[in-house]
Amino acid sequence: MSDPFSFQLRQVSKRFVKGKETITIFDGLDLDIPAGDFVAIMGPSGSGKTTLLNLLGGIDHVTSGEILFDDRRVDTLTENQLSAWRAANVGFIFQFYNLMPVLTAAQNVELPLLLTNLGRKERRTNVATALELVGLSDRAAHYPREMSGGQQQRVAIARAIVSDPQVLLCDEPTGDLDRSTADEVLGILKLLNQEHGKTVVVVTHDPEVTRHTRRTLHLNKGVFEEKTALA
Amino acid sequence: MNQALLVAKNLSRRKLRTSLMLVAIFIAFFLYGALECFNRAFHSSENSGAAERLVTVNRINFTMPLPVNYAGRVRQVEGVTSVSYQSWFGGYYQDQRQPLFMFAVDPVSYLEVYSGIQLPAEQRRAWLTNRSAVAVGKTTAAKYGWKVGDRVPIASNIYLRKDGAKAWEFDIAAIFSDPDDTAREGLIMMSHDYFDETVTFGRDQVNMLVFSTVSPKRNDEIAKAVDALFANSEAETSTDTAAAFNRAFVAQLGNIALIITLVVATAFAAILMIVGNTMVMAVRERTREIGVLKTLGFRGSTILSQILAESLLLALLGAVLGLGAATLAVAAAGKFIQGFGSNMNMTAGVFLGGVGWALLLGLVTGAVPAWSGMRLQIATALGRR
Amino acid sequence: MGRVISQVTAIASMNIRSIPQRLWMSLSTVVAIALVVAVLLAFLAMGNGFRQAQSSAGAEDIAIMLRDGAQTEINSAVTREQADLIEEAPGIARENGRPLVSAELYVIVDGTSRANGLRANLPLRGLALGGVALRHDVRIAEGRLFQTGTNEIVVGRSVTREFAGFDLGKTMRLGQSVWTVVGVFEDGGTVRESELWGDVGVVQSVFKRANFFQTIRARLQSPRSLPALKAYVDADPRLKFAVQSETEYFSEQAKQSSNLIQKLGWPLAIIMAIGALAGALNTMYSSVASRGTEIATLRAIGFGRIPTFAGTLAEALTLAVIGGGVGIIAATLLFQGYSASTLSANFTQVVFTFKVTPALCVSALVLALIVGLIGGIFPAFRAARQPIVGMLGDQ
Repeated sequence: MSDPFSFQLRQVSKRFVKGKETITIFDGLDLDIPAGDFVAIMGPSGSGKTTLLNLLGGIDHVTSGEILFDDRRVDTLTENQLSAWRAANVGFIFQFYNLMPVLTAAQNVELPLLLTNLGRKERRTNVATALELVGLSDRAAHYPREMSGGQQQRVAIARAIVSDPQVLLCDEPTGDLDRSTADEVLGILKLLNQEHGKTVVVVTHDPEVTRHTRRTLHLNKGVFEEKTALA
Repeated sequence: MNQALLVAKNLSRRKLRTSLMLVAIFIAFFLYGALECFNRAFHSSENSGAAERLVTVNRINFTMPLPVNYAGRVRQVEGVTSVSYQSWFGGYYQDQRQPLFMFAVDPVSYLEVYSGIQLPAEQRRAWLTNRSAVAVGKTTAAKYGWKVGDRVPIASNIYLRKDGAKAWEFDIAAIFSDPDDTAREGLIMMSHDYFDETVTFGRDQVNMLVFSTVSPKRNDEIAKAVDALFANSEAETSTDTAAAFNRAFVAQLGNIALIITLVVATAFAAILMIVGNTMVMAVRERTREIGVLKTLGFRGSTILSQILAESLLLALLGAVLGLGAATLAVAAAGKFIQGFGSNMNMTAGVFLGGVGWALLLGLVTGAVPAWSGMRLQIATALGRR
Repeated sequence: MGRVISQVTAIASMNIRSIPQRLWMSLSTVVAIALVVAVLLAFLAMGNGFRQAQSSAGAEDIAIMLRDGAQTEINSAVTREQADLIEEAPGIARENGRPLVSAELYVIVDGTSRANGLRANLPLRGLALGGVALRHDVRIAEGRLFQTGTNEIVVGRSVTREFAGFDLGKTMRLGQSVWTVVGVFEDGGTVRESELWGDVGVVQSVFKRANFFQTIRARLQSPRSLPALKAYVDADPRLKFAVQSETEYFSEQAKQSSNLIQKLGWPLAIIMAIGALAGALNTMYSSVASRGTEIATLRAIGFGRIPTFAGTLAEALTLAVIGGGVGIIAATLLFQGYSASTLSANFTQVVFTFKVTPALCVSALVLALIVGLIGGIFPAFRAARQPIVGMLGDQ
């Protein structure tokens, strides 16, 4: 009897053509991420960790191999199918938050809900819940430029979870934050993993992150290293 | 919040830039609106019932006279219903360089032929009974501030008075309107009988016969019959529809339509460049945000329609403001312009035409950035490659 | 001072060389300014050509007499008796004892426009051979002059160009008679070239105007003889004439008949310039924005505010000059010598050609520079006042 898997990567290869050169990032990579996992992927620049996150999120495409989500192929979906899939299942969190500068915190959080059939009232409730979860209910009407980095990242997390996706993909979520703010953000991710059962994948340089995750994978030149083990 | 808000927010994020684009669009549509209204007014005499009326002028040229008794002979032609006639008076009021569009006419038959002319019954009676009275079109009356009952001195730079006086004193008996043909509202009409009585020369001669027929379908045939009537006489005639006559006359002033088309096309070409490029730049600045929207699950087609909505909104906003300003300007300018074009006003056709151009402009200027926004690869947009 | 100038030059040349990096934005400004300049020049060249066709037709030493108040030849009327009286007037030049006086009839006939095939008013002038001689500058370019007492006409060069059926040797019906074109005359493209000339006696009889004229022209002994002629006319109650030199008459004509369309040039160009200005401001603001780091770096190195300001202004003026130049070249190529006709105060067609002159080009260029100046000055202020800190950007 096995846990259900969030992601399963089977023999995934990824190559870029740059000028006359072909750069190979992955060549036959396998990876299983069970549902409810909280995994950190670490590695030096150019190790392919960002590409891996892009592949998981369906914003980049494999050269060959398969990616399964919930036992269904996602690497074969069209752009529009991928959009719908992401809207339903994946929340993204970026290093530089990537909030819309023209929208308030609440409006930023509400953005993904525009893609659902929820009515205005339900959307407002969900936004309020998400903001409360990240502890920013009192900042709902603030614009990104009026908030600190940590607050902006918490808004970004609220935006990622507001449509209740199964998976959170985080790219250096603490890269732009000081230690204590970073811990706060990681605390929220941990809470989401433990209390709400979200699968969380974090790509990072920051060794401190691994103190919060269930396990850590080390990626080097497109290959996972031995240190990989359950925490 | 909804997507419309997002579009509005995007437009307002750089208020200065958006305002500048609005100004450019405003200017182009202001020019379009004002010039197109002028053009329509300028050419309005070619339409509005003029196709049904026939005019007969001297075959040599329309400035040459015809004997007044021709009117009676045309009336005998089969198919002709009523006949009137007119002579250019060359009148002016106070300023010799500002000619009045003034004709000596036979009032009774004139009102029969130009059945669109509207004037109150008592004014009509007053004009028909008082030989030294004139009927004034409402735009000319408004321009000079004339009212019914006023007495105005009008001189002619062609005709002299028998009694040696410089000017004619005319009573303003009627002020008329003609909704079918607003160009007519710039005219002044005096009685031809009074004209014949008072001038030193040019008596019993007219510039033009105007008549209506039983049916426009028979106009060709009737025109030929009229010209045949006077063939080989001292004053041979040329008969045509009023529309064709007016078209030839207006064309003599120059190819106004071409000039206006060129100017408006130039203005549109300029804003196409300005707005098109600015939209490309504005969307390029938001590359990263578009990438984020896509990671949130927004489809390419949604991004496309958002950007198109933005450019359409911009174009429509500028266009409606420009057309609105043109409406006001045209109404104001009509009071200052003498003669052709003085009857201009904003019509639904011009306005809606402008809105149509605005839609096209919005689509064209939004097309390139919208397309690239739709096709944008997320990984590229987020700078993650 | 010298340092400031060298700084300005350095920054300005750097900005100007970076224009291609913002190619499309810069191009849109250049095109917008070029279009404004071209429209302005087209209208100015049209008005100028129209005015010149009329004003250059007149001679200082030819007097023209019209019935008082008539203003134009077509409205005027002169009797044989009056014409005879003028022959006795002082100040008029004589040749072999005969006064150089020409009583002329002016009637309007129909021509057919080559451009649109519609009927158009053409002036047929009846005059004697002496009247032709009165006009110094006219020369017969093709064929010969008409002969007295015949149905022959000579036509102006402009008439043959714009209207169908008036080429040498052609015949046509004017009035009750058939006429033959025996010659084409030229007069430097003036309004005279828009006329048909025939023998006055024949024109009078064909158009039933026996002993009737419209105007009298007389060659003066010198331009200074005009007052003497005027005094003579004023003193005789039978001569209710307005006496003018031809120069005066034609320039008055030009003034009267420069119509609405020709007056539209400047207002239209200024309105369009506001649109182009919006484009120029946009381009320059984005130029300043895109060079933010560069400007901050230069300021950090020690360049002053003035060079930063002047550099941005120089870029805007460069775009304006290029736009102006392109507009001038385009307008010249498209419109110089373009032939058109319109109705004059005489109610006849005046054929004229568009004339782009250096003076007009200068005023068009001034408009372009004003757009460049205003379009550059506000962004230049922004560039000069931009803080250094925070713009040295790592982001």
